[in-house]
Amino acid sequence: MNNKIVPFLPELLRHLFKKPATVKYPFEKEAVPEGFRGNVVCDAAKCIGCMICVNDCPAEAIDIIRVSETEKKFKMILHNDRCIHCAQCVDSCPTKAYHMDAEYETAAFSRHDLKIEYK
Amino acid sequence: MEFKVSLGPQHPALHEAVSLRMTLEGEIIRDADLKLGYSHRGIEKLAEERTFTQNIYLTERICGICSHSHTTCFVQGVEQLMELIPARRGLYIRTLIAELERVHSHLLWLGVAGQEAGFESFFMYTWRDREVVMDILDWITGNRVHYAMNTFGGVRRDIDELQKKKILDSLDLLTKRTEYYLKIGANEPTFVGRLAGVGKLSREDAIALCAVGPTLRASGVPMDVRKDDPYAVYNEIPFEVCTADSCDVLGRAVVRVKELIQSYKMIEFLLKNLPDGPFKVKAPRKVKPNEVYSRYEAPRGENVHYIKSNGSDKPERLKVRAPTLANYTATIKMLKNGFIADIPLIFAAIDPCICCAERLVQLDNPRSGESKVLSFSQLRTMANDHYKKVNLLKKEAVWPF
Ligand code: SF4
Ligand code: SF4
Repeated sequence: MNNKIVPFLPELLRHLFKKPATVKYPFEKEAVPEGFRGNVVCDAAKCIGCMICVNDCPAEAIDIIRVSETEKKFKMILHNDRCIHCAQCVDSCPTKAYHMDAEYETAAFSRHDLKIEYK
Repeated sequence: MEFKVSLGPQHPALHEAVSLRMTLEGEIIRDADLKLGYSHRGIEKLAEERTFTQNIYLTERICGICSHSHTTCFVQGVEQLMELIPARRGLYIRTLIAELERVHSHLLWLGVAGQEAGFESFFMYTWRDREVVMDILDWITGNRVHYAMNTFGGVRRDIDELQKKKILDSLDLLTKRTEYYLKIGANEPTFVGRLAGVGKLSREDAIALCAVGPTLRASGVPMDVRKDDPYAVYNEIPFEVCTADSCDVLGRAVVRVKELIQSYKMIEFLLKNLPDGPFKVKAPRKVKPNEVYSRYEAPRGENVHYIKSNGSDKPERLKVRAPTLANYTATIKMLKNGFIADIPLIFAAIDPCICCAERLVQLDNPRSGESKVLSFSQLRTMANDHYKKVNLLKKEAVWPF
């Protein structure tokens, strides 16, 4: 019977001195990797209003609205409550108006608080 | 004396909603019936209203654990419709993610099996080791669960030298840990005793009931889409199809541990032989009218997507057959004449993913033009009634084999 415990002994001893596998979130935060898909950030000045992002977004989370009658100026409204953080908009935009940040704590009390406007 | 007992749809032993009705004789299950439809989400219908690009992310959400399986199955089907040859480097990376996903899914399963069998420390070991591969996936794709790596014509992100090195380093650790699990199996008689002989499924039954994946291979049938109908770059990678002959839950555990080791070797091969060149090619937006049947070996078994295009940028029809659905009939067989206490273990052994398997059937009446939605049991009754009423001339027909 006792020899059955032998293969487990090194494992048991190792765990006595091992650092815990978990971290004490939210007091301690793990860094996200480079290239993490956080929130969408838009540089609305670069937008030419081609609407590719609106058509490609799987969650219908993007609105592009023309702000000036005379000039080609647009604002972007991101419905972050719907966004699924797929980064398709980043890939689709021909003028590279989008990038994604490293933010992952996006909880809010109301979905309306999650609406972000980029001008 | 017989008792009828129902388990679920909500039950702590089941991780997702599914209803099981059983006829018991004492502690022994004499008959069982499975009722589905509690987590139907209407994904196939939704897919008809989305463009192909949007559908990549929709199919990804069919399942959380095999997210890459569903997108790959969908993407390679659409690539065939587009007559597009994907970039070779892209295919290598696609296969790499597929194998990493298999590793994390099998480690997850081993943990669940350990927990269901009452071996909690095993659960904690495997799930901690699983974090290693989850971190790799997070690092190379940008997310732990929904990798969003696939696109038509290749993948969306490249892999650099540093990432390659880090994956290879982590592989050493994972290989060592998996070898340790093999040793546990050989040295822990209670764990082996708990799994052996539970959920028997003979080789003949497994074939007759169309079981798939590790459930089928644990009944001694060496069938694997990666070998039988290679997709991506599986025809270039050396690997073995792992089987077991014990036809029980123990066999299913053995198959998965063996597959883990095969996957580590494949990942190493893929990284060392990663070709240079572009990782994606440009794909058209519209797809010519055609239809395709795409197969993929997901960690749980063969995954099938049927896609029909109509010349626009949206599919006319998408049909998904997730591996869990294929394994349900075999599960009923496994449950019969087993103990009621073995239900969680038998269920866990097919690694069920209930909501991926939920589909419904809608019948259109061509004459009256009305359509109605039927559950599978209604459909079954209808079919039987139909055969009773119509005196078909096929009474003397014999199965040719
Ligand atoms: S990340 Fe995806 S879901 Fe979010 S806005 Fe961009 S395309 Fe839409
Ligand atoms: S794809 Fe880029 S340029 Fe086109 S509408 Fe969207 S943000 Fe503007």
